[in-house]
Amino acid sequence: MAGLLLGLLLILLPAALLARPVAAATTVRVLMPSPFVDATASLVAAFNRDHPELKVEVARGPLDTEAMSDLAIGGLLLGDSGYDLLLMDVSWTAKYVAAGWLVPLEGLLGEDALEPMVPGARVGNAFGGHLWRMPLTGDTGLLYWRTDLMAAPPRTTTELEAVARRLQAEGKVRWGYVWQGRQYEGLSCVMLEMIHAFGGHWWQADSGPAGGRSELDSPGAIAAADWLVHLVRSGVSPEAVADFAENEALQLFAAGDAAFLRNWPYAWREIEKGGGPVVGKVGVSTVVSAPGISSGGTLGTWGLSLLAGSPHPQAAAEVIRWFTGPQTQKALVLDQGYAPTWAALYEDRELQQKHPLLAVQRQALEQGPLVRPLTPLYAQLSDLLQRQVNGLLTTAGSPEAAMSLAQRQSAVLLESAAGHGSGRQGST
Amino acid sequence: MSPSLLNSLLMLPALVLLAIVFAWPLLDSAWLSSQASSVLTGLSPIANDGANWQRLLGDARFWQDAAVTLRFAAVSVGLELLLGLAMALVLHRPGRGRGWLRALALLPWALPTTVLALGWRWIYNDPYGPLNAILRAFGAPPYGFLTTPATTWLFTVLADVWKTTPFVALLLLAGLQSIPAELEENLVLEGARPGQILRRLTLPLLKPWISLAVLFRLAQALGVFDLVQVLTRGGPAGSTESLALYAYLNAMRFLDFGYSATVVIATFLLLVLLTAIGWLLLVRRPLEASR
Amino acid sequence: MRSLLLLWSLAPLAWQLYTSLVTPEALVNGSGVAAGSFWTLENYRQVWLADPPIWRYLLNSAVVGGATTALTLTLAVPCAYGLQRQGGRLRWAVTLALLATAIFPTVLLFLALLQLARALGLANNLLALSLPYAALCLPLAVLLLRAAFAELPAELEDAARLEGLNLPRRLRHVLLPLLAPSLASTAILVFLFSWNEYPIALTWISRPELLTLPPAIARIAGSSLFTVPYGAFAAATVLGSLPLLLIVLIFQRSIVSGLTQGAIKG
Repeated sequence: MAGLLLGLLLILLPAALLARPVAAATTVRVLMPSPFVDATASLVAAFNRDHPELKVEVARGPLDTEAMSDLAIGGLLLGDSGYDLLLMDVSWTAKYVAAGWLVPLEGLLGEDALEPMVPGARVGNAFGGHLWRMPLTGDTGLLYWRTDLMAAPPRTTTELEAVARRLQAEGKVRWGYVWQGRQYEGLSCVMLEMIHAFGGHWWQADSGPAGGRSELDSPGAIAAADWLVHLVRSGVSPEAVADFAENEALQLFAAGDAAFLRNWPYAWREIEKGGGPVVGKVGVSTVVSAPGISSGGTLGTWGLSLLAGSPHPQAAAEVIRWFTGPQTQKALVLDQGYAPTWAALYEDRELQQKHPLLAVQRQALEQGPLVRPLTPLYAQLSDLLQRQVNGLLTTAGSPEAAMSLAQRQSAVLLESAAGHGSGRQGST
Repeated sequence: MSPSLLNSLLMLPALVLLAIVFAWPLLDSAWLSSQASSVLTGLSPIANDGANWQRLLGDARFWQDAAVTLRFAAVSVGLELLLGLAMALVLHRPGRGRGWLRALALLPWALPTTVLALGWRWIYNDPYGPLNAILRAFGAPPYGFLTTPATTWLFTVLADVWKTTPFVALLLLAGLQSIPAELEENLVLEGARPGQILRRLTLPLLKPWISLAVLFRLAQALGVFDLVQVLTRGGPAGSTESLALYAYLNAMRFLDFGYSATVVIATFLLLVLLTAIGWLLLVRRPLEASR
Repeated sequence: MRSLLLLWSLAPLAWQLYTSLVTPEALVNGSGVAAGSFWTLENYRQVWLADPPIWRYLLNSAVVGGATTALTLTLAVPCAYGLQRQGGRLRWAVTLALLATAIFPTVLLFLALLQLARALGLANNLLALSLPYAALCLPLAVLLLRAAFAELPAELEDAARLEGLNLPRRLRHVLLPLLAPSLASTAILVFLFSWNEYPIALTWISRPELLTLPPAIARIAGSSLFTVPYGAFAAATVLGSLPLLLIVLIFQRSIVSGLTQGAIKG
């Protein structure tokens, strides 16, 4: 009986606390990953001071991109997301659009809303004749290198490997190159860069129901997998890279244990803030590719989308305009080192002086950053690739066999999609 | 009102809730497995002539996950039974503080699996976890407990065995308590050694409880989800992905509900098949033999 | 033997406790750290002041646990009574169904229950979450309580009936007081179950401030972008385990006897 009484007491007491607060007519609720909540907290407070009629309320999501996606999808599937705006990774957009969860923005923000952005940052936001997302950051994959160990960054895969081996042989660094090899989305970003770096493609767009077909068994894709495996086998990269996400790789590089790091723009500020042995000795460059091939970094932007079911789309659009606007982005570059999306900000003298990364980021964005396959089935395709490549890194196996298996599995998935997915695609 | 009608009415509310939460979902998932319902159909169901089931038959990942799940269930249930028996014998022995001992032994079973899985992730950490600290103390290089596809499944089994053995032990303890003490005393007087007592008396009388524990643990282990989702997320290289995790990923990450339902129903059928075999072997045959 | 058993059961938990109480440097460098910077309560401060704070999850879990316990007992008592008094095929069929559902792995229900939550608007509501939880606990609760009803001498109820007490009064004044120990152990087991349940909570609750402990902890596990805060993880696991530790230690007799008695008679 004690349990029963205790139970009743526990229900009655907090029931009052659980009642949802009555939302003011124009409170715009935004769900973002945790780091963005911290980064924008003071800006949001200032906005709320200046706009008494419009209140922005930011909800804190998890740090991790996949956990964030799970949380957002959980709410949307329940039909009770409770948010007006969602800060989305570029790789989610096609899936969310196909699920009917997003509202087109061109009517609210204008057909030319993306015009003032750097070309590279425009990609992945508008398709099927609609604008679905306004980019807030212009991240691409970058190569971090040690200015105290070399005069200039390597430009090709061969150079990188040679420099790394030399520095390792001289005992200057324990490891040559660290990157993201764990079975998660980061490995797909690395693979996309490497496939293009060896002259291949992951994805060829077409007009079918899945939006394209994959080419994972092409010579370029196999060479990419082969090179990554070779880096681990030859000791240029540690075996533990197979369990590295961004942060593990960053930690090792920041501790001075590696000559090269593949990471996103945020890493620069993290290294400088950390005060470790490599502060002031880090250069940033675009990622390397095989000799004779020009390639780019994977596009990893975050942007705001308007969720279907928002009771006040106009007010929400107003918040998007402010959040992704030049003033907010400038403040985020200065405070946080985020990569902006506005072309004009890359011309800004003050920013150029205070944030040396800007020139490289602009180069990476203008070079044509690589976009992950724009298809609602992307999550599955990426998952298939991650399993195969991570398997290669952790067990013996031939890159040819693994990549052609990934290709076969992708083809089966896309075929089964073609079987039933005809009617409703794009009917939103 | 007749007593039988009254009894039925008393049972009705509970049975209705059980039907809504157990029977309806299975029927609904069975129906959904015959439909295409994914991002490509705008998340609404469209009949697709068994295409999901065709895909399942040719889906190497499903069969790999089925093998992973079966291996996990077989090895963890086997170990839990052995260790559970040992633990039950220790807990059954009279002595001071037996109540506290039972409570402390039960603790791993009472705590949330996700909480414990997070703890095991830290214990297996490479290179800072305690297991690698022990290896280091012996001069061995650090071991990737969670990054070696060939062995990581064993460490998920270990975490599961640690968590659920107390439950098995408790069930077997109930069995031990039902054995009259005189029987054992008689055997002792006849000069039987402890091993002989175990084989001739304890194990045969414990049979029903062992069967119950095996059936329960087998069914639960075939649906393993919490542990792998938090401890390994199915990795490395998909080597610990269970069927339930695959069904979950299909629904919540890939938004393919038709296929997720197909995996759910396939897992359910596998579960029914295996528990039926287990029931025949453990419960039915001994019953007939004893007639 | 006993110390071996305790080592096996408690060592992993003790390691968590240790991890939660030392600084990150101490974790990585062990004894090479100055004495002053070895022990710390910083990890607890961090999870206690996090957004949302950990006590929020503990409170949410307590609410669901309390509601589930109350609902389960309310439904299970009449069902167990009816089942015990019922004879024939119906009794056999219901018992078989209860046994089957008792061993059923609940994760296989998540997909359809997700749709149910959406269709009936039960998402993100802690009290609504106790509906499926009660159903998942019912089989075990009914089986345990039926065994307890079977223990009571039939003459007792007959005597009460002759005195003119109707069924609700007989239950309340005669039968339930005698069943108090079984009710208590059933209640504790139900509470433990709902405190620990994961897949349904994961799919029914999407608002960070309404998460129960298991999905909240699992989400913490998925968040390692900038640092890998094992100390904070450990502090969260210790705080999340503490209420259960108390329950198990206080009610150990009830839990053990509840499960063993139920198994013997059931």
